[in-house]
Amino acid sequence: MTLNTVKNKYYYIAGAILLIALAIVSLYVGKYPLSMEKLLSGDDLQWRVFLTLRLSRTVVGIMGGFALGVAGFVFQTVFRNALASPDIIGVSSGASAGAAAGILFLSGSLAITLSSFAGALGAVVIALFLSSLDKSGKNSTIVLAGIAVHSLAQTFLMCLKLTADPERELASIEYWIMGSLSGISGYSITANLILCILCLCILFLLHRHVIILSTEEGEARMLGVSVTTLRLIVLLTATLTVASIISLTGLISFIGLLAPHTARLLTKENRIQTMLLSGFLGGILLCGADILARSVSATELPVSIFTSLLGAPFLIYLILQERRSL
Amino acid sequence: MKFFTVNDLSVSYGKHEILSRLSFETNTSETIGILGANGSGKTTLLKAICGILPHTGTCILEENLLENKTPKQLAKLCSYIPQRSGISIDISVLDTVLMGFHPHLGFLEHPSMEMKEKAISLIYKVGLSGKEHTNYLHLSEGQKQLCILARTLVTDSKLLLLDEPESALDFHFRYQMLSLIRSWNRENHSTALVSLHDPMLALNSCDRLLLLADGHISSTIFPQTDTLSSMEEKLCHIYGNISLHHCVNKSGQKQIVMLKENLFEGTD
Repeated sequence: MTLNTVKNKYYYIAGAILLIALAIVSLYVGKYPLSMEKLLSGDDLQWRVFLTLRLSRTVVGIMGGFALGVAGFVFQTVFRNALASPDIIGVSSGASAGAAAGILFLSGSLAITLSSFAGALGAVVIALFLSSLDKSGKNSTIVLAGIAVHSLAQTFLMCLKLTADPERELASIEYWIMGSLSGISGYSITANLILCILCLCILFLLHRHVIILSTEEGEARMLGVSVTTLRLIVLLTATLTVASIISLTGLISFIGLLAPHTARLLTKENRIQTMLLSGFLGGILLCGADILARSVSATELPVSIFTSLLGAPFLIYLILQERRSL
Repeated sequence: MKFFTVNDLSVSYGKHEILSRLSFETNTSETIGILGANGSGKTTLLKAICGILPHTGTCILEENLLENKTPKQLAKLCSYIPQRSGISIDISVLDTVLMGFHPHLGFLEHPSMEMKEKAISLIYKVGLSGKEHTNYLHLSEGQKQLCILARTLVTDSKLLLLDEPESALDFHFRYQMLSLIRSWNRENHSTALVSLHDPMLALNSCDRLLLLADGHISSTIFPQTDTLSSMEEKLCHIYGNISLHHCVNKSGQKQIVMLKENLFEGTD
């Protein structure tokens, strides 16, 4: 079967257009109605809502989805496993534990962001350090270390929950874990977004290396790659990308798994464009889910409900299509 | 100074020594076959030379000590074909072959137009013409090997290490692959170390054969000049009771044929 590059080009274009369209919708939808006329006439309140609430929320929705999609692509490729995601080396459980600690012992949303970021990074650094103790440099060692760190972080989180005040603190921990874009506003996001964009740039520049990492260890080495060092850099960068987002939004399930998988099923390729498409799909999914989360009912719903509701049937459809074409 | 020298090479897995103090030298343009029973250390030897396996001893290619090189420098000097490539993601044949240029590219560089043309010409040369945009994973095992061979040849490295490249190929492709490697070595003044399963293929297409047994090179065969009886005696240690004969094919080329003696009489 020949790889269809012409058809794939349409996927990239369609993905980009859909993403932009959703971004525009996302700027408008919300409790406070915005109108183009009032914005153009310089209405102060309209502009404040637009800049501090809508714009930042839309930017995080798109960037966040994009980052999760790209990071998921990198993880699946490096681990040669379609089920791999940043979670397997402990990033999400580390972030949850960090956020819980932040909610209990610190105050303010910035502090919670910082402590969940520290938790995510800490978990991954420990996992990678543990795996580096095994000199054979196998992928499976990293996964095992990740599972160990993941369960440690879960235990730590459980202990924190036990000490939490069930009325306020426990509820905020649970709500954080469910993930939402509702708390995002103003300028608190700048540092995270800059870090995220920086890491994404590095991942795209390293794309060729990521593909070579997907071959067998010895083979990659003979193609001139220092496997252990490069894998460490790639995994850390991908983790930083994810951590910079989920420390703002809380856990967002499924995008890191679904977006790259869909991009691959659609294009049947693993080129830099596929990675980009995976990012587009992630952005579409998160932005779309967020629009639904804030418009379906009177109260805000957790965004993960909709990422799964939108994503899962689509993935199942693609897999069934794939089966039929074989 | 020889083109490529291996000195006192030893490899152990734990306490178990696979190769012990192995030494040999090669000239340019040589195609050297490595024969040995299963588990005699053919793969280990190739992996040690290209630095994937830790070892003692030295490998020197044109005054370059291979042990001192970074992976990138090493990949420029020699290239290696594993028994089976680990590629498990959807990727086109062309992109697979272009991977071979990786050590020659700067950090942010992309394969140039010339590199693409060269890759395509090699895809033609190994007999995969028209398959540039085919998904690598949809190729047959033999075609995959040919694709990886193209990836190896594309970089003009001076030392080719090939681990049973013929194992998945059928009769016709086996001879085609080996004759390709031979003529490549002559044209590019490179040397190939090829571990082989098929002794007849080895006898008819290599300049020299190293026979591995018990972690040593038990003997060396020069198929073009050695007498049949001396080769028979050396090969008996690996393949049991066999005999060698000269045969001439219809186009008048002399070939060596290996026959099993005492056929169907169980182990001898």
